[in-house]
Amino acid sequence: MPAVEVSDVSKRFRLELNRPTSVKEAVLRFGRRDVRHVWALRDVSLAIEKGSFFGLVGHNGSGKSTLLRLMAGIHRPTSGRITAQGRLSALLELGSGFHPELTGRENVFLNGAMLGLGRRQMAAAMENIIELSGVGDQIDAPVKIYSSGMYMRLGFSVAVNVEPEILLVDEVIAVGDEEFQQRCLQHMESLRSGGTTIVLVSHDTALVRELCDRAGWLDGGCLRSVGDPDEVVDAYLVHVADGGPEPAAGR
Amino acid sequence: MTVKHPGLRAALLLSPAARTGARLVRSFAERETKALYKRNLLGWLWSLLKPLTTVAVYSLVFGVIYRATAPSTANGQAEVFALYLFSGLVVWNVFNTIVNGSMRWMDGVSELRKKIYFPTETALIGGAAATLLQSSLEALVLVLIMAVLANVSWTLVFLPVAMLLAALFALGLGFAAAIVNARYRDIQHLTTIVLSVGFFMVPIVYTPDIVPERAYGLPVARLVELNPLNSVIAVTRDAVYFLEPPDIADLATAAAWATGVFVAGLAFFRRRSMAISEEP
Ligand SMILES: Nc1ncnc2c1ncn2[C@@H]1O[C@H](COP(=O)(O)OP(=O)(O)OP(=O)(O)O)[C@@H](O)[C@H]1O
Ligand SMILES: [Mg+2]
Repeated sequence: MPAVEVSDVSKRFRLELNRPTSVKEAVLRFGRRDVRHVWALRDVSLAIEKGSFFGLVGHNGSGKSTLLRLMAGIHRPTSGRITAQGRLSALLELGSGFHPELTGRENVFLNGAMLGLGRRQMAAAMENIIELSGVGDQIDAPVKIYSSGMYMRLGFSVAVNVEPEILLVDEVIAVGDEEFQQRCLQHMESLRSGGTTIVLVSHDTALVRELCDRAGWLDGGCLRSVGDPDEVVDAYLVHVADGGPEPAAGR
Repeated sequence: MTVKHPGLRAALLLSPAARTGARLVRSFAERETKALYKRNLLGWLWSLLKPLTTVAVYSLVFGVIYRATAPSTANGQAEVFALYLFSGLVVWNVFNTIVNGSMRWMDGVSELRKKIYFPTETALIGGAAATLLQSSLEALVLVLIMAVLANVSWTLVFLPVAMLLAALFALGLGFAAAIVNARYRDIQHLTTIVLSVGFFMVPIVYTPDIVPERAYGLPVARLVELNPLNSVIAVTRDAVYFLEPPDIADLATAAAWATGVFVAGLAFFRRRSMAISEEP
Protein backbone atom coordinates (compact mmCIF):
# COMPACT_ATOMS: atom_id res chain seq x y z
CA MET A 1 0.00 0.00 0.00
CA PRO A 2 1.42 3.42 -0.97
CA ALA A 3 2.14 5.93 1.79
CA VAL A 4 0.38 8.70 -0.08
CA GLU A 5 -2.28 8.03 -2.67
CA VAL A 6 -3.75 10.80 -4.77
CA SER A 7 -6.64 9.74 -6.98
CA ASP A 8 -8.24 12.03 -9.56
CA VAL A 9 -7.70 15.06 -7.40
CA SER A 10 -8.80 18.48 -8.57
CA LYS A 11 -8.67 21.64 -6.53
CA ARG A 12 -10.55 24.78 -7.32
CA PHE A 13 -10.01 27.92 -5.29
CA ARG A 14 -12.64 30.53 -4.99
CA LEU A 15 -11.19 33.93 -5.53
CA GLU A 16 -13.27 36.97 -4.81
CA LEU A 17 -11.88 40.29 -5.84
CA ASN A 18 -12.69 43.10 -3.43
CA ARG A 19 -14.42 40.69 -1.14
CA PRO A 20 -16.62 42.51 1.36
CA THR A 21 -15.10 42.21 4.80
CA SER A 22 -18.07 43.35 6.83
CA VAL A 23 -21.80 42.78 6.84
CA LYS A 24 -22.24 46.47 6.10
CA GLU A 25 -20.14 46.25 2.93
CA ALA A 26 -21.80 43.02 1.87
CA VAL A 27 -25.22 44.60 2.14
CA LEU A 28 -24.13 47.74 0.28
CA ARG A 29 -22.55 45.70 -2.46
CA PHE A 30 -25.35 43.17 -2.64
CA GLY A 31 -25.56 41.53 -6.06
CA ARG A 32 -22.39 43.09 -7.39
CA ARG A 33 -19.70 40.69 -6.48
CA ASP A 34 -16.76 39.58 -8.54
CA VAL A 35 -16.20 35.90 -7.83
CA ARG A 36 -13.72 33.90 -9.86
CA HIS A 37 -12.42 30.42 -9.63
CA VAL A 38 -8.89 29.19 -10.05
CA TRP A 39 -8.18 25.56 -10.84
CA ALA A 40 -4.93 24.90 -9.03
CA LEU A 41 -4.98 21.16 -9.76
CA ARG A 42 -6.79 19.08 -12.32
CA ASP A 43 -7.26 15.32 -12.23
CA VAL A 44 -3.99 14.54 -10.56
CA SER A 45 -3.38 10.86 -9.77
CA LEU A 46 -0.26 9.73 -8.04
CA ALA A 47 0.90 6.99 -5.72
CA ILE A 48 3.97 7.52 -3.57
CA GLU A 49 5.38 4.28 -2.23
CA LYS A 50 6.35 3.83 1.40
CA GLY A 51 9.96 4.72 2.04
CA SER A 52 10.49 6.47 -1.27
CA PHE A 53 11.83 9.96 -1.90
CA PHE A 54 9.57 11.81 -4.30
CA GLY A 55 10.47 15.08 -6.00
CA LEU A 56 7.99 17.56 -7.41
CA VAL A 57 9.01 20.14 -10.00
CA GLY A 58 7.14 22.73 -12.02
CA HIS A 59 6.82 26.41 -12.80
CA ASN A 60 5.69 29.00 -10.29
CA GLY A 61 1.97 28.68 -9.80
CA SER A 62 1.77 25.17 -11.23
CA GLY A 63 0.12 23.78 -8.11
CA LYS A 64 3.01 22.13 -6.24
CA SER A 65 2.35 23.79 -2.89
CA THR A 66 -1.37 23.18 -3.30
CA LEU A 67 -0.73 19.48 -3.79
CA LEU A 68 1.39 19.33 -0.63
CA ARG A 69 -1.25 21.21 1.35
CA LEU A 70 -3.87 18.73 0.22
CA MET A 71 -1.61 15.86 1.28
CA ALA A 72 -1.16 17.54 4.67
CA GLY A 73 -4.95 17.85 5.06
CA ILE A 74 -4.86 21.65 5.21
CA HIS A 75 -7.29 22.00 2.31
CA ARG A 76 -9.86 19.53 1.11
CA PRO A 77 -9.84 18.51 -2.57
CA THR A 78 -12.69 19.82 -4.69
CA SER A 79 -13.00 16.35 -6.17
CA GLY A 80 -11.06 13.13 -5.88
CA ARG A 81 -9.47 11.50 -2.88
CA ILE A 82 -6.22 11.80 -1.00
CA THR A 83 -5.07 9.33 1.60
CA ALA A 84 -1.90 9.48 3.65
CA GLN A 85 -0.96 6.56 5.85
CA GLY A 86 1.01 7.30 8.99
CA ARG A 87 2.23 10.25 11.01
CA LEU A 88 2.65 13.15 8.66
CA SER A 89 4.87 16.09 9.31
CA ALA A 90 5.00 18.99 6.89
CA LEU A 91 7.28 21.93 6.30
CA LEU A 92 5.33 24.21 4.05
CA GLU A 93 6.79 27.58 3.31
CA LEU A 94 8.02 29.84 6.02
CA GLY A 95 6.91 29.55 9.60
CA SER A 96 4.94 26.41 9.08
CA GLY A 97 2.63 25.84 11.94
CA PHE A 98 3.93 28.29 14.52
CA HIS A 99 1.79 30.53 16.61
CA PRO A 100 3.59 33.90 16.58
CA GLU A 101 2.63 34.84 20.14
CA LEU A 102 3.92 31.64 21.70
CA THR A 103 7.53 30.98 22.57
CA GLY A 104 9.59 28.53 20.57
CA ARG A 105 9.30 25.94 23.30
CA GLU A 106 5.52 26.30 23.60
CA ASN A 107 5.24 26.01 19.85
CA VAL A 108 7.23 22.80 19.90
CA PHE A 109 4.72 21.32 22.34
CA LEU A 110 1.78 22.65 20.36
CA ASN A 111 3.20 21.21 17.15
CA GLY A 112 3.77 17.91 18.87
CA ALA A 113 0.15 17.87 20.03
CA MET A 114 -0.99 18.52 16.46
CA LEU A 115 1.07 15.58 15.28
CA GLY A 116 -0.36 13.35 17.96
CA LEU A 117 2.60 13.36 20.34
CA GLY A 118 2.24 13.90 24.07
CA ARG A 119 4.16 16.32 26.24
CA ARG A 120 6.44 13.62 27.56
CA GLN A 121 7.47 12.55 24.08
CA MET A 122 8.09 16.14 23.04
CA ALA A 123 10.03 16.88 26.20
CA ALA A 124 12.27 13.93 25.38
CA ALA A 125 12.88 15.29 21.89
CA MET A 126 13.29 18.88 23.06
CA GLU A 127 17.04 18.83 23.53
CA ASN A 128 17.64 17.51 20.02
CA ILE A 129 15.22 20.02 18.57
CA ILE A 130 16.91 22.98 20.25
CA GLU A 131 20.32 21.68 19.27
CA LEU A 132 19.49 21.20 15.61
CA SER A 133 17.59 24.48 15.32
CA GLY A 134 20.48 26.46 16.78
CA VAL A 135 18.10 29.05 18.26
CA GLY A 136 19.75 28.60 21.67
CA ASP A 137 18.34 30.71 24.48
CA GLN A 138 15.79 32.29 22.20
CA ILE A 139 13.79 29.10 22.42
CA ASP A 140 11.95 30.82 25.27
CA ALA A 141 11.24 33.99 23.31
CA PRO A 142 8.08 34.41 21.25
CA VAL A 143 8.68 33.14 17.71
CA LYS A 144 7.45 36.40 16.21
CA ILE A 145 10.84 37.93 17.01
CA TYR A 146 12.72 35.16 15.18
CA SER A 147 14.56 35.84 11.95
CA SER A 148 13.17 34.01 8.92
CA GLY A 149 16.10 31.61 9.07
CA MET A 150 15.50 30.82 12.73
CA TYR A 151 11.81 30.33 12.12
CA MET A 152 12.52 27.86 9.41
CA ARG A 153 15.28 26.08 11.29
CA LEU A 154 13.05 25.51 14.28
CA GLY A 155 10.27 24.30 11.99
CA PHE A 156 12.61 21.88 10.31
CA SER A 157 14.00 20.65 13.61
CA VAL A 158 10.53 19.85 14.88
CA ALA A 159 9.51 18.20 11.63
CA VAL A 160 12.44 15.80 11.55
CA ASN A 161 12.53 15.09 15.28
CA VAL A 162 8.98 13.82 15.64
CA GLU A 163 9.84 10.59 13.83
CA PRO A 164 7.54 11.27 10.92
CA GLU A 165 6.42 8.44 8.69
CA ILE A 166 5.75 10.94 5.93
CA LEU A 167 7.63 14.21 5.55
CA LEU A 168 6.49 16.93 3.17
CA VAL A 169 9.02 19.63 2.40
CA ASP A 170 8.15 22.66 0.30
CA GLU A 171 11.12 24.69 -0.85
CA VAL A 172 12.06 25.81 2.64
CA ILE A 173 15.64 24.73 2.96
CA ALA A 174 16.63 27.47 0.54
CA VAL A 175 16.17 30.05 3.32
CA GLY A 176 18.82 28.49 5.57
CA ASP A 177 22.52 29.17 5.39
CA GLU A 178 24.95 26.78 3.69
CA GLU A 179 25.72 24.87 6.89
CA PHE A 180 22.06 24.39 7.69
CA GLN A 181 21.23 23.24 4.18
CA GLN A 182 23.86 20.55 4.53
CA ARG A 183 22.42 19.41 7.83
CA CYS A 184 18.93 19.34 6.34
CA LEU A 185 20.07 17.08 3.57
CA GLN A 186 21.82 14.80 6.03
CA HIS A 187 18.68 14.62 8.13
CA MET A 188 16.48 13.83 5.18
CA GLU A 189 18.90 11.11 4.13
CA SER A 190 18.88 9.54 7.56
CA LEU A 191 15.08 9.73 7.75
CA ARG A 192 14.88 8.09 4.37
CA SER A 193 17.13 5.25 5.43
CA GLY A 194 14.91 4.88 8.48
CA GLY A 195 11.96 4.25 6.17
CA THR A 196 10.33 7.70 6.10
CA THR A 197 8.52 8.64 2.91
CA ILE A 198 9.63 12.07 1.76
CA VAL A 199 7.99 14.41 -0.72
CA LEU A 200 10.16 17.35 -1.71
CA VAL A 201 9.16 20.35 -3.81
CA SER A 202 12.19 22.04 -5.25
CA HIS A 203 13.27 24.36 -8.01
CA ASP A 204 16.74 22.92 -7.65
CA THR A 205 16.57 20.31 -10.40
CA ALA A 206 20.09 19.03 -9.67
CA LEU A 207 19.00 18.27 -6.11
CA VAL A 208 15.94 16.42 -7.34
CA ARG A 209 18.07 14.30 -9.70
CA GLU A 210 20.48 13.51 -6.91
CA LEU A 211 18.10 12.73 -4.05
CA CYS A 212 14.88 11.44 -5.46
CA ASP A 213 13.82 7.93 -6.42
CA ARG A 214 10.93 9.29 -8.40
CA ALA A 215 9.73 12.66 -9.54
CA GLY A 216 6.65 14.36 -10.91
CA TRP A 217 6.23 17.47 -13.04
CA LEU A 218 3.22 19.69 -12.56
CA ASP A 219 2.28 22.10 -15.29
CA GLY A 220 -0.71 24.40 -14.99
CA GLY A 221 -2.26 22.09 -12.40
CA CYS A 222 -1.88 18.94 -14.49
CA LEU A 223 0.62 16.20 -13.81
CA ARG A 224 2.57 16.17 -17.06
CA SER A 225 4.83 13.26 -16.26
CA VAL A 226 5.88 11.09 -13.42
CA GLY A 227 8.67 8.55 -13.14
CA ASP A 228 12.45 8.46 -13.18
CA PRO A 229 13.77 11.81 -11.86
CA ASP A 230 16.27 12.23 -14.70
CA GLU A 231 13.63 11.75 -17.36
CA VAL A 232 11.07 13.94 -15.64
CA VAL A 233 13.54 16.75 -14.99
CA ASP A 234 14.84 16.54 -18.58
CA ALA A 235 11.32 16.79 -19.96
CA TYR A 236 10.62 19.75 -17.68
CA LEU A 237 13.83 21.53 -18.70
CA VAL A 238 13.10 20.97 -22.39
CA HIS A 239 9.71 22.52 -21.83
CA VAL A 240 11.28 25.47 -20.02
CA ALA A 241 13.71 25.99 -22.92
CA ASP A 242 10.77 25.79 -25.35
CA GLY A 243 9.08 28.80 -23.87
CA GLY A 244 7.73 28.18 -20.42
CA PRO A 245 4.47 27.32 -18.76
CA GLU A 246 0.98 26.82 -20.01
CA PRO A 247 -1.06 29.98 -19.79
CA ALA A 248 -2.42 30.52 -16.28
CA ALA A 249 -4.90 28.01 -14.93
CA GLY A 250 -8.30 28.79 -16.42
CA ARG A 251 -11.63 29.61 -14.97
CA MET B 1 -8.38 -4.42 14.27
CA THR B 2 -11.85 -3.07 13.82
CA VAL B 3 -13.20 -0.38 16.05
CA LYS B 4 -16.67 -1.36 17.09
CA HIS B 5 -17.74 1.71 18.99
CA PRO B 6 -15.88 4.69 17.64
CA GLY B 7 -18.10 7.08 19.59
CA LEU B 8 -17.43 5.35 22.87
CA ARG B 9 -13.73 5.02 22.16
CA ALA B 10 -13.57 8.69 21.32
CA ALA B 11 -15.45 9.58 24.50
CA LEU B 12 -12.96 7.60 26.57
CA LEU B 13 -10.08 9.26 24.71
CA LEU B 14 -8.98 5.90 23.39
CA SER B 15 -8.80 6.82 19.74
CA PRO B 16 -5.66 8.65 18.63
CA ALA B 17 -7.72 11.45 17.12
CA ALA B 18 -9.54 12.01 20.41
CA ARG B 19 -6.26 12.05 22.32
CA THR B 20 -4.79 14.54 19.89
CA GLY B 21 -7.89 16.69 20.28
CA ALA B 22 -7.65 16.54 24.06
CA ARG B 23 -3.98 17.54 24.00
CA LEU B 24 -4.74 20.48 21.77
CA VAL B 25 -7.62 21.62 23.96
CA ARG B 26 -5.26 21.50 26.90
CA SER B 27 -2.55 23.48 25.10
CA PHE B 28 -4.98 26.19 24.05
CA ALA B 29 -6.54 26.34 27.50
CA GLU B 30 -3.12 26.70 29.10
CA ARG B 31 -2.17 29.42 26.70
CA GLU B 32 -5.34 31.37 27.47
CA THR B 33 -4.95 30.94 31.21
CA LYS B 34 -1.35 32.03 31.10
CA ALA B 35 -2.15 35.04 28.98
CA LEU B 36 -4.74 36.09 31.55
CA TYR B 37 -2.83 35.58 34.74
CA LYS B 38 0.79 35.31 33.86
CA ARG B 39 0.95 32.52 36.40
CA ASN B 40 0.75 34.58 39.54
CA LEU B 41 -1.66 34.89 42.40
CA LEU B 42 -2.12 38.61 41.97
CA GLY B 43 -3.24 37.94 38.41
CA TRP B 44 -5.93 35.60 39.65
CA LEU B 45 -7.13 38.12 42.22
CA TRP B 46 -7.06 40.78 39.56
CA SER B 47 -9.44 38.71 37.48
CA LEU B 48 -12.00 39.01 40.27
CA LEU B 49 -11.90 42.76 40.15
CA LYS B 50 -14.19 43.08 37.18
CA PRO B 51 -17.02 40.80 38.31
CA LEU B 52 -16.90 42.21 41.84
CA THR B 53 -17.03 45.75 40.51
CA THR B 54 -20.03 44.82 38.38
CA VAL B 55 -21.77 43.39 41.43
CA ALA B 56 -20.97 46.52 43.43
CA VAL B 57 -22.21 48.91 40.76
CA TYR B 58 -25.45 47.09 40.02
CA SER B 59 -26.11 46.61 43.73
CA LEU B 60 -25.67 50.32 44.24
CA VAL B 61 -27.95 51.29 41.37
CA PHE B 62 -30.67 48.69 41.77
CA GLY B 63 -30.36 47.61 45.38
CA VAL B 64 -29.61 50.93 47.03
CA ILE B 65 -30.95 53.62 44.72
CA TYR B 66 -33.97 51.79 43.28
CA ARG B 67 -34.38 49.76 46.47
CA ALA B 68 -34.89 46.51 44.61
CA THR B 69 -35.37 43.67 47.01
CA ALA B 70 -34.21 40.15 46.53
CA PRO B 71 -36.17 37.17 47.80
CA SER B 72 -34.79 35.78 51.01
CA THR B 73 -32.22 33.04 50.94
CA ALA B 74 -32.98 29.55 52.08
CA ASN B 75 -32.18 30.21 55.73
CA GLY B 76 -34.20 33.40 55.58
CA GLN B 77 -31.35 35.42 57.02
CA ALA B 78 -29.99 37.34 54.16
CA GLU B 79 -31.97 39.43 51.80
CA VAL B 80 -28.95 40.67 50.06
CA PHE B 81 -29.60 41.93 46.59
CA ALA B 82 -25.88 41.80 45.79
CA LEU B 83 -25.77 38.06 46.36
CA TYR B 84 -28.90 37.43 44.34
CA LEU B 85 -27.27 39.41 41.56
CA PHE B 86 -23.88 37.76 41.94
CA SER B 87 -25.33 34.27 41.61
CA GLY B 88 -26.85 35.14 38.25
CA LEU B 89 -23.81 37.06 37.13
CA VAL B 90 -21.43 34.14 37.62
CA VAL B 91 -23.29 32.14 35.02
CA TRP B 92 -23.86 35.10 32.73
CA ASN B 93 -20.11 35.78 32.71
CA VAL B 94 -19.40 32.23 31.58
CA PHE B 95 -21.82 32.72 28.71
CA ASN B 96 -20.75 36.22 27.74
CA THR B 97 -16.99 35.56 27.91
CA ILE B 98 -17.21 32.43 25.80
CA VAL B 99 -19.39 33.92 23.05
CA ASN B 100 -17.13 36.97 22.74
CA GLY B 101 -13.96 34.96 23.25
CA SER B 102 -14.76 32.44 20.52
CA MET B 103 -14.16 34.99 17.79
CA ARG B 104 -10.88 36.04 19.37
CA TRP B 105 -9.71 32.45 19.84
CA MET B 106 -10.57 31.73 16.23
CA ASP B 107 -8.59 34.75 15.03
CA GLY B 108 -5.68 33.64 17.17
CA VAL B 109 -5.29 30.39 15.25
CA SER B 110 -6.63 31.09 11.78
CA GLU B 111 -3.20 32.02 10.38
CA LEU B 112 -1.77 28.90 11.95
CA ARG B 113 -4.53 26.78 10.48
CA LYS B 114 -3.55 27.91 6.98
CA LYS B 115 -0.18 26.26 7.46
CA ILE B 116 -0.89 23.13 9.42
CA TYR B 117 -3.91 20.93 9.86
CA PHE B 118 -5.49 20.58 13.28
CA PRO B 119 -9.11 20.44 14.36
CA THR B 120 -9.73 24.18 14.73
CA GLU B 121 -12.58 23.70 17.19
CA THR B 122 -10.01 22.66 19.81
CA ALA B 123 -8.88 26.29 20.07
CA LEU B 124 -12.40 27.41 20.97
CA ILE B 125 -13.01 24.51 23.32
CA GLY B 126 -9.68 25.28 25.01
CA GLY B 127 -10.65 28.92 25.42
CA ALA B 128 -13.97 27.88 26.90
CA ALA B 129 -12.22 25.54 29.32
CA ALA B 130 -9.98 28.38 30.47
CA THR B 131 -13.05 30.57 30.94
CA LEU B 132 -14.72 27.92 33.06
CA LEU B 133 -11.61 27.73 35.18
CA GLN B 134 -11.63 31.47 35.74
CA SER B 135 -15.34 31.46 36.50
CA SER B 136 -14.90 28.73 39.07
CA LEU B 137 -12.89 31.26 41.02
CA GLU B 138 -15.83 33.67 40.95
CA ALA B 139 -18.13 30.81 41.90
CA LEU B 140 -15.83 29.96 44.78
CA VAL B 141 -15.99 33.51 46.11
CA LEU B 142 -19.78 33.39 45.88
CA VAL B 143 -19.93 30.08 47.74
CA LEU B 144 -17.52 31.34 50.41
CA ILE B 145 -19.71 34.37 51.07
CA MET B 146 -22.73 32.09 51.23
CA ALA B 147 -20.84 29.88 53.67
CA VAL B 148 -20.16 32.86 55.92
CA LEU B 149 -23.90 33.54 55.89
CA ALA B 150 -24.51 29.86 56.66
CA ASN B 151 -26.47 29.48 53.45
CA VAL B 152 -25.01 26.36 51.89
CA SER B 153 -26.34 22.91 51.14
CA TRP B 154 -25.79 19.87 48.94
CA THR B 155 -27.69 21.63 46.15
CA LEU B 156 -24.44 23.47 45.39
CA VAL B 157 -23.51 20.53 43.15
CA PHE B 158 -25.87 22.01 40.58
CA LEU B 159 -23.82 25.20 40.32
CA PRO B 160 -21.05 23.58 38.22
CA VAL B 161 -23.77 21.85 36.21
CA ALA B 162 -25.36 25.19 35.39
CA MET B 163 -21.99 26.69 34.51
CA LEU B 164 -21.23 23.79 32.22
CA LEU B 165 -24.60 24.12 30.48
CA ALA B 166 -24.04 27.86 30.03
CA ALA B 167 -20.61 27.08 28.55
CA LEU B 168 -21.98 24.53 26.09
CA PHE B 169 -24.73 26.87 25.01
CA ALA B 170 -22.24 29.72 24.58
CA LEU B 171 -19.78 27.55 22.66
CA GLY B 172 -22.50 26.52 20.22
CA LEU B 173 -23.25 30.17 19.52
CA GLY B 174 -19.53 31.00 19.60
CA PHE B 175 -18.75 28.40 16.93
CA ALA B 176 -21.21 30.03 14.58
CA ALA B 177 -20.11 33.57 15.43
CA ALA B 178 -16.44 32.70 14.91
CA ILE B 179 -17.05 31.32 11.43
CA VAL B 180 -19.14 34.29 10.33
CA ASN B 181 -16.77 36.77 11.94
CA ALA B 182 -13.84 35.27 10.06
CA ARG B 183 -15.41 36.72 6.90
CA TYR B 184 -17.42 39.65 8.12
CA ARG B 185 -15.36 41.46 10.68
CA ASP B 186 -18.16 43.60 12.12
CA ILE B 187 -19.92 40.54 13.56
CA GLN B 188 -17.86 40.91 16.73
CA HIS B 189 -19.22 44.40 17.29
CA LEU B 190 -22.78 43.31 16.53
CA THR B 191 -22.36 40.42 18.96
CA THR B 192 -21.28 42.77 21.73
CA ILE B 193 -24.39 44.85 21.16
CA VAL B 194 -26.70 41.84 21.08
CA LEU B 195 -25.13 40.48 24.26
CA SER B 196 -25.48 43.73 26.14
CA VAL B 197 -29.19 43.76 25.26
CA GLY B 198 -29.40 40.06 26.11
CA PHE B 199 -28.06 40.75 29.60
CA PHE B 200 -31.22 42.64 30.45
CA MET B 201 -33.46 40.02 28.87
CA VAL B 202 -32.47 37.57 31.57
CA PRO B 203 -33.50 37.99 35.19
CA ILE B 204 -30.10 38.85 36.61
CA VAL B 205 -30.51 42.40 37.89
CA TYR B 206 -34.20 41.84 38.57
CA THR B 207 -36.39 39.03 39.85
CA PRO B 208 -38.60 37.18 37.36
CA ASP B 209 -41.77 38.02 39.32
CA ILE B 210 -41.56 41.79 38.80
CA VAL B 211 -41.63 41.44 35.00
CA PRO B 212 -44.97 42.76 33.69
CA GLU B 213 -47.16 40.37 31.72
CA ARG B 214 -47.36 42.75 28.77
CA ALA B 215 -45.74 46.05 27.93
CA TYR B 216 -46.01 48.07 24.72
CA GLY B 217 -48.09 45.21 23.32
CA LEU B 218 -45.27 42.72 23.83
CA PRO B 219 -45.65 39.66 26.02
CA VAL B 220 -42.57 40.61 28.01
CA ALA B 221 -42.89 38.02 30.77
CA ARG B 222 -43.24 35.27 28.20
CA LEU B 223 -40.18 36.51 26.29
CA VAL B 224 -38.04 36.54 29.39
CA GLU B 225 -39.35 33.12 30.32
CA LEU B 226 -38.60 31.68 26.88
CA ASN B 227 -35.03 32.95 26.88
CA PRO B 228 -32.95 29.76 27.05
CA LEU B 229 -30.54 31.33 29.52
CA ASN B 230 -33.41 31.99 31.89
CA SER B 231 -33.62 28.32 32.83
CA VAL B 232 -29.86 28.11 33.36
CA ILE B 233 -30.05 31.12 35.68
CA ALA B 234 -33.02 29.57 37.47
CA VAL B 235 -31.04 26.37 38.07
CA THR B 236 -28.17 28.46 39.46
CA ARG B 237 -30.40 30.46 41.79
CA ASP B 238 -32.00 27.32 43.14
CA ALA B 239 -28.58 25.78 43.68
CA VAL B 240 -26.82 28.60 45.52
CA TYR B 241 -29.47 31.00 46.70
CA PHE B 242 -32.66 29.13 47.54
CA LEU B 243 -30.79 25.88 48.17
CA GLU B 244 -33.46 23.83 46.50
CA PRO B 245 -32.94 21.05 44.01
CA PRO B 246 -33.52 22.46 40.54
CA ASP B 247 -36.89 22.40 38.93
CA ILE B 248 -36.78 19.39 36.59
CA ALA B 249 -38.40 21.41 33.80
CA ASP B 250 -35.75 24.13 34.12
CA LEU B 251 -32.94 21.61 34.13
CA ALA B 252 -34.36 19.74 31.15
CA THR B 253 -34.90 22.94 29.16
CA ALA B 254 -31.41 24.17 29.94
CA ALA B 255 -29.82 20.85 29.05
CA ALA B 256 -31.79 20.51 25.83
CA TRP B 257 -30.90 24.01 24.64
CA ALA B 258 -27.28 23.67 25.64
CA THR B 259 -26.69 20.34 23.90
CA GLY B 260 -28.82 21.24 20.89
CA VAL B 261 -27.06 24.54 20.27
CA PHE B 262 -23.65 23.03 20.97
CA VAL B 263 -24.14 20.13 18.56
CA ALA B 264 -25.57 22.34 15.82
CA GLY B 265 -22.82 24.94 16.28
CA LEU B 266 -20.08 22.34 16.19
CA ALA B 267 -21.51 20.74 13.05
CA PHE B 268 -21.67 24.13 11.32
CA PHE B 269 -18.16 24.96 12.47
CA ARG B 270 -16.72 21.67 11.23
CA ARG B 271 -18.38 22.06 7.87
CA ARG B 272 -17.19 25.61 7.35
CA SER B 273 -13.84 25.85 9.09
CA MET B 274 -12.07 24.01 6.26
CA ALA B 275 -12.87 26.91 3.92
CA ILE B 276 -11.23 29.36 6.33
CA SER B 277 -7.87 27.74 5.54
CA GLU B 278 -8.28 28.83 1.91
CA GLU B 279 -8.99 32.46 2.61
CA PRO B 280 -6.18 34.57 1.23
N1 LIG C 1 -5.69 29.99 -1.08
C1 LIG C 1 -5.74 30.25 -2.40
N2 LIG C 1 -6.75 30.97 -2.92
C2 LIG C 1 -6.83 31.21 -4.23
N3 LIG C 1 -5.94 30.77 -5.13
C3 LIG C 1 -4.90 30.04 -4.69
C4 LIG C 1 -4.74 29.74 -3.30
N4 LIG C 1 -3.61 29.01 -3.15
C5 LIG C 1 -3.09 28.86 -4.39
N5 LIG C 1 -3.86 29.48 -5.31
C6 LIG C 1 -3.61 29.50 -6.75
O1 LIG C 1 -3.36 28.17 -7.18
C7 LIG C 1 -2.32 28.16 -8.16
C8 LIG C 1 -1.22 27.21 -7.72
O2 LIG C 1 -0.54 27.76 -6.61
P1 LIG C 1 0.62 26.99 -5.83
O3 LIG C 1 0.97 27.80 -4.65
O4 LIG C 1 0.20 25.60 -5.60
O5 LIG C 1 1.82 27.03 -6.90
P2 LIG C 1 3.31 26.48 -6.75
O6 LIG C 1 3.48 25.44 -7.79
O7 LIG C 1 3.59 26.09 -5.36
O8 LIG C 1 4.16 27.76 -7.14
P3 LIG C 1 5.61 28.24 -6.59
O9 LIG C 1 6.64 27.49 -7.36
O10 LIG C 1 5.63 29.69 -6.92
O11 LIG C 1 5.67 27.99 -5.13
C9 LIG C 1 -1.88 29.59 -8.34
O12 LIG C 1 -2.53 30.10 -9.47
C10 LIG C 1 -2.37 30.28 -7.11
O13 LIG C 1 -2.70 31.62 -7.36
MG1 LIG D 1 4.85 26.93 -3.82
